[in-house]
Amino acid sequence: MARSGAWAAGGCAAAALLLGGALRRLSRDFPPLSQLPDTPFVLQDATLAGGGLRAAAADLAWIEMLQYAAGHGDGFADSGFGYSRLPDLARRVVRLDPAFHSAYTYAAGILAWFHGVDRPDDAAAILEEGMRRDPGHPTYALYIAAIAYKKKGDTDAMVRTLDAACSAPDASVFVRELLANVHSERGEYGRALEIWNAILDDPALADQHPRAELEIGKIRAKMR
Amino acid sequence: MDTFKAVFSYTVREHLRRKAWLSAALFGLVLIVGGLLAASLAQDERARMMLDLGLAAIEAITLLTAVFLTVHLILSEVESRAVYLILSHPVRRRDYLLGRFAGTMFAVIATAAVMGLAHRGLMAAAGWPVDGSYALAWTFAMGQVAVMSALALLLSLTLTSQEAAMVFTAFAWMLGHFTAEMRFLAERAPSPLARALLEGAARAVPDLARLDYRDAIHGPAPGPRWIAAAALYALAYAAACLALSTQVFEQKEF
Repeated sequence: MARSGAWAAGGCAAAALLLGGALRRLSRDFPPLSQLPDTPFVLQDATLAGGGLRAAAADLAWIEMLQYAAGHGDGFADSGFGYSRLPDLARRVVRLDPAFHSAYTYAAGILAWFHGVDRPDDAAAILEEGMRRDPGHPTYALYIAAIAYKKKGDTDAMVRTLDAACSAPDASVFVRELLANVHSERGEYGRALEIWNAILDDPALADQHPRAELEIGKIRAKMR
Repeated sequence: MDTFKAVFSYTVREHLRRKAWLSAALFGLVLIVGGLLAASLAQDERARMMLDLGLAAIEAITLLTAVFLTVHLILSEVESRAVYLILSHPVRRRDYLLGRFAGTMFAVIATAAVMGLAHRGLMAAAGWPVDGSYALAWTFAMGQVAVMSALALLLSLTLTSQEAAMVFTAFAWMLGHFTAEMRFLAERAPSPLARALLEGAARAVPDLARLDYRDAIHGPAPGPRWIAAAALYALAYAAACLALSTQVFEQKEF
């Protein structure tokens, strides 16, 4: 009895070793924690990832990035002004969870198109990381093309490219809002209204509806 | 088989009577609703955050409950000497051990199913659809719980102290999420001994990082080969721990 039990244990252990090797070959690995950028949150990220809560760590990192972008980031002297740490904070989110699509587009949108920021190279680097780590989203390439046109000063081509990107199903709501503002500044009120109305009609974007209503009101006032 | 069934149903009834499942379910539901509040900070990623936090809460509560119950499962009966009474009957030690383990797993996973249904219901009520990947993530979370519980049972029988077994199980849980890092270190280790030790440790602990689908739920869907390999790996690892536990328990002198 004892001998058959020992054989069973040995057989199961050998099967687990073999299947572990197969699992390693078939799994998509997350980026190693050593690739996380240097931020004050390294210990928090390592603890959560070690506890098996990597997606939750990415969610927390996302909220901390939003707080930084809104000027309320703890531990950063420049939070909300120069956005100097925004690329690191975005990389932190996407290296915890490479499928965090919004983190790439949100950070790139601020760095490329926010007034007074003008860091297109940093924006393009984040989007290139998105192309590598989060395949299946053609919009990354379109955003990179739009950034290249912006650097060349070809605003018409940039807007055309962004229009194409924003008609894709996975288009970032943040970039759509930025594009609506660009159209509005260029006096293309009809197209700006189209974008805001599309946001208003999307029940999944309920959070953005008050802002869309406000912007639609502003555009209609300008059109009068 | 009849003895196994009797021990299994006795264990399920015992857990239901003790209502450990009820406090676990309530605590899990509090965390899930708390996740709903925290998700309000995440702008247009609220659905994603609610999904992640809810699944993480279900897994964490289920894991804690399962490990705690499993570590106490046999040792508490040895300490209270109830095991003498049971084993004086025509009950094979193997049936007793496996029946107790299976009954505990059944009670704990049934509780997790209640939490999962509540979580899905809450997400649907908030207008966030949940696709089939949810069931897969929940199932593999339970697979990890089963693997860790089997390991906790083995450790509780070999270490004989409940505290030591819980601490070593917690270590194994953390190391299981760092297997890629251990292999990375092993590749760069200067001495062959350090390399062999790290590689051996990475193979010995359960590879939870790769068994986990909950953290990868937002990425591309896994193929059927990964699902089959992960399911069989979890089964083989848990079976190895249970077979070793049976060996230790068979040879234990009370």
